[in-house]
Amino acid sequence: MAIAETQAISSIRSGGSITEALGGFRLWWLVVPAFVLFLCFFVVPAVSLFAIAFDKSVPGVVTFAGNFTFDNFVRIFTRPLYYMAILRSIGIAAVVAACALVIGYPLAFVIAKTEHPGRNTFLMILVLSAMQLDTVIRMYGLMVLLGDSGLVNGALLASGLISKPLPLMYNTFGVVVGLVQVTLPFMVLSLIGIIKAIHPSLEEAARSLGATRAQAFWRVVLPLSMPGILAGSLLVFALSISSYVVPALMGGWKVMVLPIHIYQQIAETGRWQFGAAIAVVLFLTSLLAVFIYHKAAARTAGGRT
Amino acid sequence: MSDIRLVNLTKTYGEGNAVSEINLNIGEGEFFSLLGPSGCGKSTTLRMVAGFIKPSSGRILIGSDDVTGLPPEKRDIGIVFQNYAIFPHMNVAENIAFGLKLRKRGREEIARRVTEALKQVGLAGYGERYQRQLSGGEQQRVALARVLVTEPRILLLDEPLSALDKGLREEMKFWIKDLQKKLGITTVYVTHDQDEALTMSDRIGVMQKSRIIQIGTPQEIYERPKTLFVTSFIGHSNILDVTVRGRHGDDVTVDLAGRELRARAADGVAPGGAAKLVVRPENVLLGGAVGERDMRLDATVLSETYQGAIVRYRLQVGAQEIVAERQNQAHVERFAPGTVVTIGWDPEWSEALVA
Repeated sequence: MAIAETQAISSIRSGGSITEALGGFRLWWLVVPAFVLFLCFFVVPAVSLFAIAFDKSVPGVVTFAGNFTFDNFVRIFTRPLYYMAILRSIGIAAVVAACALVIGYPLAFVIAKTEHPGRNTFLMILVLSAMQLDTVIRMYGLMVLLGDSGLVNGALLASGLISKPLPLMYNTFGVVVGLVQVTLPFMVLSLIGIIKAIHPSLEEAARSLGATRAQAFWRVVLPLSMPGILAGSLLVFALSISSYVVPALMGGWKVMVLPIHIYQQIAETGRWQFGAAIAVVLFLTSLLAVFIYHKAAARTAGGRT
Repeated sequence: MSDIRLVNLTKTYGEGNAVSEINLNIGEGEFFSLLGPSGCGKSTTLRMVAGFIKPSSGRILIGSDDVTGLPPEKRDIGIVFQNYAIFPHMNVAENIAFGLKLRKRGREEIARRVTEALKQVGLAGYGERYQRQLSGGEQQRVALARVLVTEPRILLLDEPLSALDKGLREEMKFWIKDLQKKLGITTVYVTHDQDEALTMSDRIGVMQKSRIIQIGTPQEIYERPKTLFVTSFIGHSNILDVTVRGRHGDDVTVDLAGRELRARAADGVAPGGAAKLVVRPENVLLGGAVGERDMRLDATVLSETYQGAIVRYRLQVGAQEIVAERQNQAHVERFAPGTVVTIGWDPEWSEALVA
């Protein structure tokens, strides 16, 4: 009796059979609301979008007509305007992910290592507060900073270091800056938990075995941060490649990435089918890039992710 | 191999001291334990020796080198942590090779020494495994192999057995001690477990509230504790209230429930005052075992507890309770609760301490 009881307790503790302990499949009812929401507002629209992408492109027609064709896709991959946009989207998202990692890692490291509870909370609030304002408002803030008559150019002109404004906005640079600003908190939050989970004794063990602070970081702390680096980079990449607002505002319609094309096709020319086809390409491109990155990163992390 | 000297070593955090003025010489090849309850400063002391914590004042010498200002990687020490700290992203062989690679040893030498180290700790053939595939005891051995392969001058062990279950802990206790003896490496062992300290150490330093309060061999610490704290922290003891009648050199006569007893006296025990008389339960003799000793008392048996190898008696003398333990041998006398029994011990088995 006592033994059976201990076994039951230990099996609950080990987490192996929580559902069993709580009465089998009844637990599944808890996910029904989330499932219904996901089905109605994500799966159904996404599938219908995919469907019309294979419809003949007719301006103004939104519903599925069933005129099956690959024309929309052929058009994307034969016109430089569109296939260059795919490469541009991937390139910008990759650069943003790299920048966010390089800027975000030290920040996440400091926050993770801050033991003082007050200071830790303060730093977390600082990171989260960057997410509190709507993206559009934050982008207008960046415009004030980076515009031709903005603060940066204004100061440089006034100091006489430059004679005409530097092109900081309405170009790829501006889009990258905007996207890094928007995505940085996601990177930092992905990293903090992972870095915190690296036990300090691992770093100390490395030090005592003869590693300098830098060697201990490169050989122990950084490799053990790989799951967070992976998660953060993928998240930032996905957010960047699918962002419409930032390229629209910071690129001033001059940086033609896929979401801008989608918006133009659907909102301006009313060609829903072609817009949907670009969306499908965007989705699959993003998925493929994520897949390749995951494979590559998993290899460097020794298959631990 | 080197000796270790701590000179006035102190660590202050804010208002209080974590470690206060520790002066300690640990000889070459010695197994020295720092024993004390959590928060007594033993781990802080060890971490200062390792170089992870900067002392507020005082000096640390390893051999003839003053290492006080050196970072951990320049101290040439080996440390095994409570959680073993096996690098999870490297296999066992890579873990053990870590220190050798940093020392820029050749590939062949590393391979050979890793194999030797694995053999030394009884884990030959484990090189390809990862931390998650190892039991606690195996991780312990890998951690030791990883440290020893770099041939450190001193070995620091930070509660290395506390995460193991009881059976394995017993086994590892002797295994570590044997290995240490074989290598002759100066070792500092931090523990809160008196059994580990008594079993493994050449000498023990008992710590209480940031200070070392007694240093001695396991026998000295167990049999001649200097303070009540040491007495109660190491093993079980009867601690009885007595009045001191007179002092003769290292001995005193005390009054326990109207009976005059002799005992050894610690520093500061003076005639006329109250003191604590300390007797280990295994030293309290019962019935016929008292023999012809003139130090004898009448006690009432309150209870008898059968514990297999030993039988434990709670006895009443005057208003105080005394616990006696005796080996449960086939021919041994037993005493029923309620009976009055003669008890006694030799004067040198008891110690009068400052109350």
